[in-house]
Amino acid sequence: MLTLGSLAFASPWLLAALAVLPVIWLLLRVTPPAPRRLAFPAIRILHLLTPKEETPARTPWWLVLLRLAIAALVILGLAEPLLNPAARLAGDGPVVIAIDDTWAAAPRWDDRRKLLLRLVEEADHQNRTVVLLTTSEGNDEARRSSGVLRPLDARAIAQALDPQPWGADLAASLAALDKLQLPSAAATAYLADGLDRGADQVALIERLQRLGRLTVYASPVPQLARALLPPDGLASDLVVTARRPVAGAEAEAGIRAIAGDGRLLAREPARFAADGLKTEVKFVLPTELRNQVQRLEIENEASAAAVVLLDERWRRRPVGLVGPTQFDASQPLLDELHYLDKALVPFAEVRRGPVADLLKRELAVILMPDSGALPPAERAQLTPWIEAGGVLMRFAGPKLANADDDLVPVKLRKGDRALGGALSWGRPQPLAAFDATSPFSGLAVPAEVTVQRQVLAQPGLELAERTWARLTDGTPIVTAERRGQGWTVLVHTTAIPTWSNLPMSGLFVDMLRRVVALSQGVSGSASTQPLPPLETLDGFGRITAPPPSSVALIGDDRVGSRHPPGFYGTDSARRALNLGPFVADAAPLAELPRGVARASYAIGEETVLKPHLLAAALVLLLLDIVIGLMLRGLLPGRAPVRAAIALLLLLPAAAEAQTRPAPPRGNAVDAFALEATLNVRLAYVITGDARTDETSRLGLESLSQVLSRRTSIEPDAPLGVDVEADELAFFGLVYWPMASSQPMPSPAALQRLTLYLKNGGTLVFDTRDAGEIVTDPRAGGPGAQKLREIARGLSIPALVPTPPDHVLNKAFYLLHDFPGRFAGGQVWVEATRARGEDEVSSVILGSNDWAGAWASDASGRALYAVVPGGEVQREMAYRFGVNLVMYALTGNYKADQVHVPAILERVGQ
Amino acid sequence: MQQRAEQLASTLPPLLVAAQRVAATVAQGVHGRRRVGQGETFWQYRRYVPGDSARSVDWRRSAKSDQVFVRETEWEAAQTVWLWRDTSASMRWHSRRDLPEKADRAEVLLRALALLLVGAGERISLLGEGLPPTSGRAALFRLSHGLERPTAAPAGVPAFEPLPRHAELVLIGDLLAPLDEIRSLVGKFVSRGVRGHLLQVLDPAEETLPFAGRVRFDGMEGEASALLPRVESLRGDYAERMVEHRAGLAHIARAAGWFFSTHHTDRSAESGLLTLYGALARERMS
Repeated sequence: MLTLGSLAFASPWLLAALAVLPVIWLLLRVTPPAPRRLAFPAIRILHLLTPKEETPARTPWWLVLLRLAIAALVILGLAEPLLNPAARLAGDGPVVIAIDDTWAAAPRWDDRRKLLLRLVEEADHQNRTVVLLTTSEGNDEARRSSGVLRPLDARAIAQALDPQPWGADLAASLAALDKLQLPSAAATAYLADGLDRGADQVALIERLQRLGRLTVYASPVPQLARALLPPDGLASDLVVTARRPVAGAEAEAGIRAIAGDGRLLAREPARFAADGLKTEVKFVLPTELRNQVQRLEIENEASAAAVVLLDERWRRRPVGLVGPTQFDASQPLLDELHYLDKALVPFAEVRRGPVADLLKRELAVILMPDSGALPPAERAQLTPWIEAGGVLMRFAGPKLANADDDLVPVKLRKGDRALGGALSWGRPQPLAAFDATSPFSGLAVPAEVTVQRQVLAQPGLELAERTWARLTDGTPIVTAERRGQGWTVLVHTTAIPTWSNLPMSGLFVDMLRRVVALSQGVSGSASTQPLPPLETLDGFGRITAPPPSSVALIGDDRVGSRHPPGFYGTDSARRALNLGPFVADAAPLAELPRGVARASYAIGEETVLKPHLLAAALVLLLLDIVIGLMLRGLLPGRAPVRAAIALLLLLPAAAEAQTRPAPPRGNAVDAFALEATLNVRLAYVITGDARTDETSRLGLESLSQVLSRRTSIEPDAPLGVDVEADELAFFGLVYWPMASSQPMPSPAALQRLTLYLKNGGTLVFDTRDAGEIVTDPRAGGPGAQKLREIARGLSIPALVPTPPDHVLNKAFYLLHDFPGRFAGGQVWVEATRARGEDEVSSVILGSNDWAGAWASDASGRALYAVVPGGEVQREMAYRFGVNLVMYALTGNYKADQVHVPAILERVGQ
Repeated sequence: MQQRAEQLASTLPPLLVAAQRVAATVAQGVHGRRRVGQGETFWQYRRYVPGDSARSVDWRRSAKSDQVFVRETEWEAAQTVWLWRDTSASMRWHSRRDLPEKADRAEVLLRALALLLVGAGERISLLGEGLPPTSGRAALFRLSHGLERPTAAPAGVPAFEPLPRHAELVLIGDLLAPLDEIRSLVGKFVSRGVRGHLLQVLDPAEETLPFAGRVRFDGMEGEASALLPRVESLRGDYAERMVEHRAGLAHIARAAGWFFSTHHTDRSAESGLLTLYGALARERMS
């Protein structure tokens, strides 16, 4: 086995035959090609020429080169070259394989396992023992180091090995390695996950290198594991950050938002700039959908870090403001709701309206500005809602101060308390720092926030525990009471800066945010309680039952073997722990020490090149034969040579051509479009019946002449259109006579026709059967039957017989009926046309064979007799044609004539 | 033998038809000898001059005037023409399918010439048959018979035969034999007082050598083959040699007072026949 990069030869000794190539060169140079034999009478004269031409013929150099190439290909092919040959092991001691089974190894884990199995297989072939070493943190002794194993056992372990959803502990692995007594003639391999792990990693690599020849396998840069960072829970949109360990090329990944039941809710692309490590992806979702998002993940990247689990903290809560739906736009600063609205909009969806309206949809929090006692109806609606988990937050004010209402957390004293002011010793009180048990705990209290007025709570036993915030003098400023699943919260001051400047402070926004967050059921004190693992992610980012090693989460523990990423808490109050933020500093594997071979996982299947090379040789051989024939003149003339060469070239091209779509008929289409649009033209549908088509063409041509003579419309020669292929949009009017031999339009054509009608085109159907004797009046004549067949696939609006005041009657001439070759056939138009469009009927349907009446030959003689009215009727037919074109082109403006008498009358008065 | 004769015969009717057609075309274009001589056709009256035989006086014409007129007839002296065409293997060749073989063309020419000659009352015979020349349809039949019979030892030049003096000899063939051979033959005939006509029938390919590449040319009469590596490079030389050869032939003919011309198979047979017949007619007028 001879290996050159990713190429290897199974029978390298055959390559020695390449040395023969120069000999072949010499032989080919002196041996001319076999001549072609030809009988020739005047041979005596040729004999006179021969002596001069007896110089030996030489094969052209390029032909020699071609033949050498054939020989070389055959030799190379027989040497059995292999692309991506199976891994080969050095040395003859045990095979030590260290493998990163961390989260970062999870993407493309199959490649790693395949390589691992291949290495074990190889060790098996060579009868060597195997030591498997894993590196992820928290592995127990047995998993950390397998000890010296037979390859068969090692294979079983390797097959069962899965990545863990956390990082590595290389120091432990190093220690485990040191415990093993290994001879130094080992072959070692390190299947790294491609991330840098600092000094421990360097130490491990050096240790492995000391044991034997080391190959480090690492994913190429674009395949390194990426991480997804959880979004900011309180931002208005769900903005998730994707991070990759190393910048470099531009890259794109899909981020998917998935609901708890597995439904895909949204997918957005994340585009990494060439030099960017991070990129942000924004999901704009309706609140209901947004709240269903439980999991965000990078598409096609099965790793725990590529998954972000969302708990209630990321829900965007709908918040209701009780009040009028509209702001009083003239004085917004005097409106209580204005301050609440401004404070809530960044992180919650705000709805406004009376309580009854608000409660029609799901709400998390209802904010109620200062109000008196609630009407019993509202009370009755609010109480069960609070019991079911709603949060009602009320603000005090003059009305509440004088009302007697028990939908408040604490009993209130009548009246209010003024702090400071002209007649008071007291000063406006700032807020005290929040208690640790308060949901507001941790919020900084700015000193400038003061309260001048408040309502006071009746002192009571439960007052202390119901108080969330106090003033510095100890009086409660925010109190709350748990009612059922929900809360009632009272802010003892106003939501506008009349009693306090709190509504103008940033603290106000933060407090509202906490209250809104409270509505998720995550109480402020809960985070310090131990949260048992509920569902956790495995290494591939799949939700599974928590591993036995996991323990309850307390506070902000790090992700690790004790705390795998996943959901903690209870079903009703879940807390998500994500791996992403803990691995946001991942960096790619640093330079390796000298003497360490670096390889990629991307070892494709072993490819045997022999058949390809021999096939290439065969093709070249055929080419050589053709060239030989050419040189000997056996391919007389140029045409056959060209044909042969073309054939050779076309063979591969033909296969390609099958996959390639037919070239667009761009030029023809463009030419048609230009022809149709450079001047106004009438159009008719080509039915395929030569006689009908000719009549249509001549008829429209005559009509065009009549139009040019009598009106300002000067159309060019009419065009026939093929409904299957041609674009109809260029024509305002398309005349479509029915011919019995006409084929049914394809579904595509019907669709285009429907679109044409919808976009304002006008189709004039002419069944041309008014003169036929109809046996079954319901079925109609042959043309009508044909039309019915065709129109079945068209969406044709309801039609009515032309009303006497229809614009068609007066678009140019005043007409009472619309004769063609026949008179008396009913003409149908669209019943009503929606206002806003041009009100031109999209379909005009008649049976009088108008084109037949219009048609005349080159010298102006009419082609068909017109019955029963003779030439007068023909003139009427022309007049109808003029009206028809006028109507199609100008629309309904003549309809205004209806009002002319009225207008004149009014003007006269 | 029999089979080959039949095979040949089967190709003959079209040949015969072609020959007749060719001959008919040419006969209209060639006129009589336009001289006074022995014959049956009236040529002119002329005044009697002493010495004219009394038998030649046209009494009916003389009775119309005081003069005595002699009736002269057009000269219609029959001549003996010996015909020969090359039947060697080298004649059975054509370079393209749409061209006739040289042998076929030679035979068409020969037959057409024979038809014309017999029509003109000449006596003809096929050289090498050893039969005396005859005239009339019987001569044609005999000629036909002789043509259909395969020649025992076909050669590029005819064997010498002691022909009667003043006989005419027509040789049709590719005349690619060495010049010396032809010269000695012509010399022998000339020494017998025979006047001759040489018509060289060539395929256009023999003139231009339109081949390319490496070709081994085989002779058709047992000559050694010639291997030419790049035929196209030799075209010029070949054409020169061909012209030289033809010039040699022309020289031989001129020296002997014979007629020489070349006919290519891609030209119409009529043109060849016209050339040949014209030469013969000139010969008789001189």
